[in-house]
Amino acid sequence: MASETQAHPPAADHGHDAHEHGHFGPEMWVIPEAPGLVAEVNEKQNAPSGIFRMVLLAGAALTILGIVGFVLKAITAGFSDHRAWGFYVAAFAFVFTLTASAPLAACAFRFTKSHWRRPLSRIAEIFSLVSIVNILLFIPALIALPDIGVATESGELMVRRSIWFQELVNPSGWLLAGMIGLSFCSVAILWLAALPDMAQSRHLVSGFRASLYGRLAGGWYGTKRQWQVQKGGLAILGALYFMMVVFVQFLVVSDFAMAMIPGWKDSILPPFYTVISFQGGLATILLVAYAMRRWGGYRDLIGQAPFWAASKVLLGLTLLHTYHLFAFFITYWYGRLEVEQAILNYLMFDSYIGIFWAQLFFTFFIPFPILVSNHARREGWGAPLAAIFIVIGLLLWHIRIFAAAFAAAPAVEGGLYYLPSDAFSFPALLLPVPGATFPDLWDIFMILGGVGIVLLVFRIGMMLLPPLSLWEMKEGSMYQRVDTLIRGRYLVLAKPE
Amino acid sequence: MQEGKVLPAAQINRDLLRSILETPRWFWPVVSLLGLIVLAASITVGIMINTGLGITGLNYKVVWGFFITNFVFWIGISHAGVMLSAILRLAKAEWRRPATRAAEVLTIFSLMTAMIMPIIHTGRPWRILYWAFPYDFARGIWPNIRTPLVWDPSAILTYLTSSTLFVIIALVPDFAVLRDRTTGWPKLVYTLLAMGWEGNPRQWKLQIIAGVLLSALILPVFVSVHSIVSWDFGMAVAIKSWHSTVFAPYFVVGAVHSGVSAVVFAMILLRWAYGWQDYIRHEHIDALGRLLIVVATGWFYFLVMEIIFGIYGLEGDELAVRALQFLPGDYGVAYNVWMIIFVGITYFLPVILWLPKAWRRNLWIMSAACISVNVGMWLERYLLFVPGQANKQFQTFTWNDYLPQWPEALIVGATFAFVSMLMLLFSRVFPLVPLYDIKEGDILRTEMQVGRRTLTATFRED
Repeated sequence: MASETQAHPPAADHGHDAHEHGHFGPEMWVIPEAPGLVAEVNEKQNAPSGIFRMVLLAGAALTILGIVGFVLKAITAGFSDHRAWGFYVAAFAFVFTLTASAPLAACAFRFTKSHWRRPLSRIAEIFSLVSIVNILLFIPALIALPDIGVATESGELMVRRSIWFQELVNPSGWLLAGMIGLSFCSVAILWLAALPDMAQSRHLVSGFRASLYGRLAGGWYGTKRQWQVQKGGLAILGALYFMMVVFVQFLVVSDFAMAMIPGWKDSILPPFYTVISFQGGLATILLVAYAMRRWGGYRDLIGQAPFWAASKVLLGLTLLHTYHLFAFFITYWYGRLEVEQAILNYLMFDSYIGIFWAQLFFTFFIPFPILVSNHARREGWGAPLAAIFIVIGLLLWHIRIFAAAFAAAPAVEGGLYYLPSDAFSFPALLLPVPGATFPDLWDIFMILGGVGIVLLVFRIGMMLLPPLSLWEMKEGSMYQRVDTLIRGRYLVLAKPE
Repeated sequence: MQEGKVLPAAQINRDLLRSILETPRWFWPVVSLLGLIVLAASITVGIMINTGLGITGLNYKVVWGFFITNFVFWIGISHAGVMLSAILRLAKAEWRRPATRAAEVLTIFSLMTAMIMPIIHTGRPWRILYWAFPYDFARGIWPNIRTPLVWDPSAILTYLTSSTLFVIIALVPDFAVLRDRTTGWPKLVYTLLAMGWEGNPRQWKLQIIAGVLLSALILPVFVSVHSIVSWDFGMAVAIKSWHSTVFAPYFVVGAVHSGVSAVVFAMILLRWAYGWQDYIRHEHIDALGRLLIVVATGWFYFLVMEIIFGIYGLEGDELAVRALQFLPGDYGVAYNVWMIIFVGITYFLPVILWLPKAWRRNLWIMSAACISVNVGMWLERYLLFVPGQANKQFQTFTWNDYLPQWPEALIVGATFAFVSMLMLLFSRVFPLVPLYDIKEGDILRTEMQVGRRTLTATFRED
């Protein structure tokens, strides 16, 4: 009879003896109660910790350094030789990769109704402000991008491979339009998401912020209809932003990396770049969240739960990164085509072998064991530690791909890079395989400036807007409680729809 | 929000074991009909072995046709099991519960079916042994382990083994329930299968740990299987349009797309056939529909990448294949028309049908969308493999075409009957909806008052 066996698991007990104290402790998950949350966050904003003030100064200093580097590079190298701008493009692409995907994390985890996302949402959305900087950084990169077609002295038109094919459209306008559209969309997401918080804070703050909140959230009263429009708008903008991010990333990596290296035809590169971007975006968010929790006085508001849950997603993205890399490598390596062997030698096994292995260690071999460890994830330090390595690894990745690409593209028509526009076949080759290129002092300044401007803009964003999504935190506190089931105390979560 | 009501354990047992303890009147006629189709296909295979592959449409240029297309299709279907069971289990998605068993079992049967296809395709199936064993020590002839054609069976067998283990581990508590409800020799069989299960805390702990560990360990296998299948093609540089770096993730996402669609359709059929309305509810189909929108869009992105970078190279030979795939022309077979149909029914039609919530909850519409996806995904593989081999490039004397013949059509059609028959037979002896998983879901369910609304809530362990 059925009574002979216990025919269902002892619910949520799962045999853990320690459940009376909780596997992780339910308090790990609890979002603070709503009363006082707005005032507390405002207070922290008004009196930031010393480290946060230092971040602002460091960001400003590095940004100035970057500007100095850029000006001196422009003076010494000019824009006529694109090879001089490889490291600049790498720095831009690095900033773009990390910051463009960050707002997407807020949208994606909101879409999946992940409870743990709530303390991370606003951090992710504030990166939208960096997208305005991305537009500015993008313009010199566009100027440095070599033309698709060049005319020889005899008047014959020579073209190179490009995703714009041989139509000789000027891609710069489209690329810039994509970048501006992306920026608009992300700023719209930030505004819509921060609307209720700005409305609630407008009477608690003074000065510029009061005026800003009054202008941006003056009409918000929190009616049912306004909430419906806000949530619907966030969903639609999130979907739109997702598509735009993927599309613009496809354009950037195709035009600024693949098309620059003769013979590189690699259909996995755009998805690979997107995966890298998601990985880097999430890693950056976790780093900021950890800094806020550790040094910013937000320990009570940002619990360990977001790190525990987000680190699993980061683990998945880290594995996906490596999977895409392997899929690229094995297809090229196995094919034994001369053109593909040249690309492998250039990017992985010869010219850039050192940076390749360093990057692989930083993006996979070091973070993987950290993220696999339950202990590291549970304690809250595992994910940020892995994130540091990942961010450094991704900087190396961008140098290896973008700086190498700009260094490989011939400066003038010749070899097999530019071919007649009516060429029957396009067997472009990267032979002989060029050596590695190294940054000069101005390149280093520009890379540091890229990091600095992200720190600066993000820190200003934190000063202007509530750095935590207050309405989501309050909503979260309504949908949760700690309750007893059999012998253990557990978090109970409601999902309203 | 979870719908439906919490049911008593006794009723769950009664309802979900109905397919085993009672035989519906339609059961044996349907199984017999499916068996007849399989028998006809088996006879055809016999004729083909006796006569040779000449009775198929395969020729000296197009050597991989219906059979290999069907092989890749069934491998794709097999990806539903891990997607729904392992990934959603790790993600703690509550709505996974009724779908997991059917998905896992479909994985096993579709893998078995897939493995039959290359064996038939060899024409002389006994030679399949040469893939695994050296057949001439004296002359040092060994299987070439560096070819994806050898990686492939290794990966598939690993996947089959781990999937089977996964199903068995999950079935043990249900075997015990069946052991307690049967008599005679069935009781003996279920007793052996239950392996002394009493449902004590230690056993539950081991069972759950095993499930979670297998879920995590099976994920790399899941990804590797279809990646390696894709490399059967992607590694080949001679056939233009095959040598593409994106093939591995493109195939994996496509497999999940077709596999989950197949599971949704199977669930709808089971709900209808066994009256499991309280278990396979509209909310489950709705959630799977939303998942499918995301998966389909990911798949479409990879498809676009594959096409764009096929053209990007501007290499004459590859452009000729792309022209054959996309442009109208005097090529014999109108691949371009099939291409339009394929993209339409694999992405645009189903996604349009999945977008409105009301349509996702309409079982007829969901069935149509899921069938559409699977017809489209079958076509996708065909259109990916065959035009490249037709070799319609610049040297016209090497052109060829492929017109599948009746033996291929019959054998391919019979594989659908074969899998359906196996699923039905399985449902006759084992529960296709996991009893303990449903009960656990009910126990973890509670309610929460938020403002004026009472919401369904769930106990979360982490």
